[in-house]
Amino acid sequence: MTSVVGRPTARVGAVEIVTGRAQYTGDLTFPGMLWGALLYPVHSPARILRIDAAKARRISGVMAVLTHADVPGLNRFAYSYVEDQPVLVSEFVRYQGDALAAVAAVDEATAAAALATIEVDLELIEGVFDPVEAMQPGARRVWPDRNNVHEHLVIERGDIEAGFARAEVVVEGEYTTQLIEQAFLEPEGAVATLEADGTIVVYASCQSPHRDRRQIAVALGLAENQVRVMTPYVGGAFGGKDEVHVQIHAALLARATGRPVRLIRSREESIRTHVKRHPIRIRHKLGATRDGRITALQVEAIGDTGPYVNAGAEVMSVLAATASGPYRVPAARIDAFTVLTNNPICGAMRGFGIPQGTFAGERQMDKLSRELGIDPLEIRFRNGLETGTVLPTGAVVREGRPMKACLEKAAERSGWREREEIEREPAPHQRRGWGLAANIFTVGFGRSVPDSGGVNLEMTPDGAAILRTGAADMGQGAHTVLAQIAAEELGIGVEAVRVVKPDTDRTPDAGPASASRTTFVSGNATRRAAAAIRASLLEAASLSIGRPADELHLEGGYVHAAGEQVTTVAEAARVAKEANLPLHADGFYAMEYPEQLLDDAYPHAHQVFTFGTQVARVLVDTQTGRVTVEELTLVQDAGRVINPGGAIGQLEGGAAMGWGYALIEELKTTDGRTANNSLESYLIPTSVDLPPMNVGLVEIPEPLAPFGAKGIGEATLTPTAPAIANAVADAVGISLDDLPLTPERVLTALARSG
Amino acid sequence: MLASPTGYAAPTTLEDALDLLAADPDNTIIAGGTDLVPGVRAGRQTPGLLVDLRRLPLDHITAERNDVRLGARVTFTDVLESSVLAAEYPALVTAAADIGGPPIRNRATLGGNLVNASPAADGAPPLLVYDASVVLAGLSGRREVPLLGFFERPGHTVLQPGEILIEIRVPRPAGSTVSSFVKLGPRNAMAIAIVNAAIRVDLDHAGGVRQCRIALGAVAPTPIRALEAETLVVSQGLTPETIARAAAEAARATSPIDDLRATADYRRRMVEVLVQRLLTGSAAELKPGNGHG
Amino acid sequence: MAELSLRVNGTTHQVKTDPCRMLLSVLREDLGLTGAKEGCGQGDCGSCVVILNGRAVNSCLVYAGQADGAEIVTIEGLAEGEVLHPLQQSFIDRWAFQCGFCTPGMLMTAYGFLLETPHPEADEVRKAISGNLCRCTNYANIVAAVVAAATGGPQP
Repeated sequence: MTSVVGRPTARVGAVEIVTGRAQYTGDLTFPGMLWGALLYPVHSPARILRIDAAKARRISGVMAVLTHADVPGLNRFAYSYVEDQPVLVSEFVRYQGDALAAVAAVDEATAAAALATIEVDLELIEGVFDPVEAMQPGARRVWPDRNNVHEHLVIERGDIEAGFARAEVVVEGEYTTQLIEQAFLEPEGAVATLEADGTIVVYASCQSPHRDRRQIAVALGLAENQVRVMTPYVGGAFGGKDEVHVQIHAALLARATGRPVRLIRSREESIRTHVKRHPIRIRHKLGATRDGRITALQVEAIGDTGPYVNAGAEVMSVLAATASGPYRVPAARIDAFTVLTNNPICGAMRGFGIPQGTFAGERQMDKLSRELGIDPLEIRFRNGLETGTVLPTGAVVREGRPMKACLEKAAERSGWREREEIEREPAPHQRRGWGLAANIFTVGFGRSVPDSGGVNLEMTPDGAAILRTGAADMGQGAHTVLAQIAAEELGIGVEAVRVVKPDTDRTPDAGPASASRTTFVSGNATRRAAAAIRASLLEAASLSIGRPADELHLEGGYVHAAGEQVTTVAEAARVAKEANLPLHADGFYAMEYPEQLLDDAYPHAHQVFTFGTQVARVLVDTQTGRVTVEELTLVQDAGRVINPGGAIGQLEGGAAMGWGYALIEELKTTDGRTANNSLESYLIPTSVDLPPMNVGLVEIPEPLAPFGAKGIGEATLTPTAPAIANAVADAVGISLDDLPLTPERVLTALARSG
Repeated sequence: MLASPTGYAAPTTLEDALDLLAADPDNTIIAGGTDLVPGVRAGRQTPGLLVDLRRLPLDHITAERNDVRLGARVTFTDVLESSVLAAEYPALVTAAADIGGPPIRNRATLGGNLVNASPAADGAPPLLVYDASVVLAGLSGRREVPLLGFFERPGHTVLQPGEILIEIRVPRPAGSTVSSFVKLGPRNAMAIAIVNAAIRVDLDHAGGVRQCRIALGAVAPTPIRALEAETLVVSQGLTPETIARAAAEAARATSPIDDLRATADYRRRMVEVLVQRLLTGSAAELKPGNGHG
Repeated sequence: MAELSLRVNGTTHQVKTDPCRMLLSVLREDLGLTGAKEGCGQGDCGSCVVILNGRAVNSCLVYAGQADGAEIVTIEGLAEGEVLHPLQQSFIDRWAFQCGFCTPGMLMTAYGFLLETPHPEADEVRKAISGNLCRCTNYANIVAAVVAAATGGPQP
């Protein structure tokens, strides 16, 4: 039994948020603060002939104008291994979001005037915009000295030739997914200050403060301990703030001027510059026996990652590693290509390759079901993975029960088995349909990728606690979950835990808040830190009441023995302090990979998975092509829910994003330049668009996880689009294999099918 | 943020407003600002002095014997809250509810919606089917212009430099009449129309169609009326066959373009669908015994 | 330059500034009221909503001069000292936000709506907040929070 974990708890920081006192990066002010701004190219791609900032520098109130020559350290940064993205471009503009110059001025208008005065001569060069063409021999290159195919990854297991030979039915399809914008409500920003000792302090709306610190230090030519990154409240990120955005530029400007500099992107700049969700073309071939058992799978995925690799190879790797879905697939070959183009950069976005792969895979399962006349639910039950199933990566599934539990629960909650009792043509030109999609999701970065995190926990002698975490809370609820875990272990109320936000000078490195890993990694680290302090408290209580420590336990602010409150935690803390027992501790956890990976496993194979199933009920207007989702049932395997309010919020919010992915969202480009650079033209769902959601949880605790809890925030959006597409196909009998399912696409497909 | 306006004034009389406006061709009227501010921000508009109408008494909704008069700075929220409009101009009220979201409707004005001359302006088709006219005031006097002749092309109207749209006049309906509006947008709120359409059908005493109005938005350089479709309905009545033919005729009246929201082809097809649905709905509503007239 | 008189959260401020700056900037930069946020700068997201003369408006679309003499309520004026407004408490209790960036604007839109419609149905609330984007939630908890605050409804 737990008294804090699993119980409703308000979000950490809730009062600050509802009163407007919560400070986000753009709310910070410092005396003498300057406005920073960046110059972006009006044409791309292009060769840079000249950047002349002389006039801009002469404008009164302009304190600095920096170009590539003013980057003292390495003028290239990277999300992971490939350092190829310039801080300020020097020779070539490779995409619309390359920064040409950075200015700092006394106010916003002067900074804008300075940008307008910088003279830039660009010579347009022919770009590479189609990733499939880019892969052809002799195609024009994005980089003269690099192949356009940055990486071709192959994951292979079993004999697919034999598998397809054994197949009695083969389903093939080609799927495309679109370029997607995270559209976090707070545009990226940073505020940088130069301290008296030369330290650069950067406050940033970010997901990875410790990685930002390294990147800033490298670009400025400083030691990492001369840079301090702090993360105030973050207004959403969804992967789009995993990579540095303007942190380095703000730091450069603060160093150049000696004054604080605030640099906030406008919405238009935000959409033009930061990394997006990859558009991916997927060819998918599935072989099965007549009774619906999969015999072989072949997938080819081509991801357009833009001119800089960023997280492109990692995204394609995760797609490849999960391309077999939550199924038993005896033979598989997956080819994933990370392709360079002059389109917007793609990288991390909630789901990280799995939404794209799941769209293709779950459409395929439905086509197989249709081909064989087996119910979509049944065909998933027949093929659903189990504990012990070996995935194409060579990972052995340690806990497979949640997969079918989610299928069953979703079927029950949605009325799947009774669906034929509901009118399929409720009105003229209205057709109803049902669609189901299941998924697998991964927790953590995968083996062979460093994946660790720490916290520092302190109990004050009055029995309250301070939790110092380097994990960013972008709204996903990480700090609340960690506070609950600390409170549970220390036997105090969650309100008695104060969370210190990421500050690289004070909080341990927790790694990025990404990959659905924070609850798992930082949660385990928090447990470990708390265990050390709990030992002190129990020892102190034992000293003061004269009973052995192992007969005591901490809960609700009290020390309990034999079912009775014998003293308070605060009193135990006071005694511990007097008795020279430690009341603060570091906790550290690194992702563990027990024996369940085969020797020849894919190096980045994962160890912990979550599963989910969603069911969409839709109405299709056959005259306008408009799809209305009447209800979305979402069931997610969570291992164990730590915070019910936060968990359900994440599930619903993720599905809302999935709804947008399915139906309305697309960042459109022409020759690499985005056309809908505002929230008026890049549309995300409003309150009157989204369907009612029927949420269910499956809780089978994961032994490696803190209290059994796995990350769920990303998993939840992956089945939504295929569930909706499958429902549309069910309603009108046509196959829609390109996202989003705009009314026009639906209508065109209807017309094609006659 | 590009060049901001050079100054701001909030005159208290129309004469002062007209003088300020006439002082420099860059001087610009502002009311709700919901179109102007994004335009300035994007550099599409570079106003000189902003001449704010907020102190002028132009927020009236007055029912006269023959028409209802709406001040130019009546907001869409005002439209939604007016009992006069709800009773007699349902297409306008429906359109108002489809514009932006509540904070936008609290600022955006009917006058602004018209003078900005967006082909997709949701306020225009309803006012066109109600045969509205607009009153334009200039230093040399006032003139009343039928809305049908008001729009010239995207962003342009017959408004002359120095003129201000001060009032919208909408004739009061008589007899048995129905009217309605529908908007097809890429999402359900805060969206620019892919197509919008309004219709009005008046019956004569014998139950025949006395008058029909069909107005369409986002399918031509300006909001338009589908005159031939209207004639067809008047001459042949609201039979399913006529409705289908009129809908097809309405689609032929359009000259849509491809843009981010939809292709021209889709728009044309949607005009046909929407007009058919609106006319079919009106036929059902006008059936004897439905309590109209 | 102009001298503007802004009555904000019950206090009158005389602000000397360019009347062609946006009200949002004046609130944030000159008055230090950073609760209202800029999410788009052009009325598409609702993060900057404040109450202007009794109605919820996007303060990024209002020139400062237009607010001269106006009565303004911002998120900072919603609580009575340390006592939260029922809407604020209800938002906390029902997890009506995740990142919180849209929350000040969302709360002010809801507040303005309840001034006109004190006893709304869920569907009316859904429409009332349709001009305020939230990217974290599916709005369901926000709608529930507004309804509950209006009815003084039971705790979750």
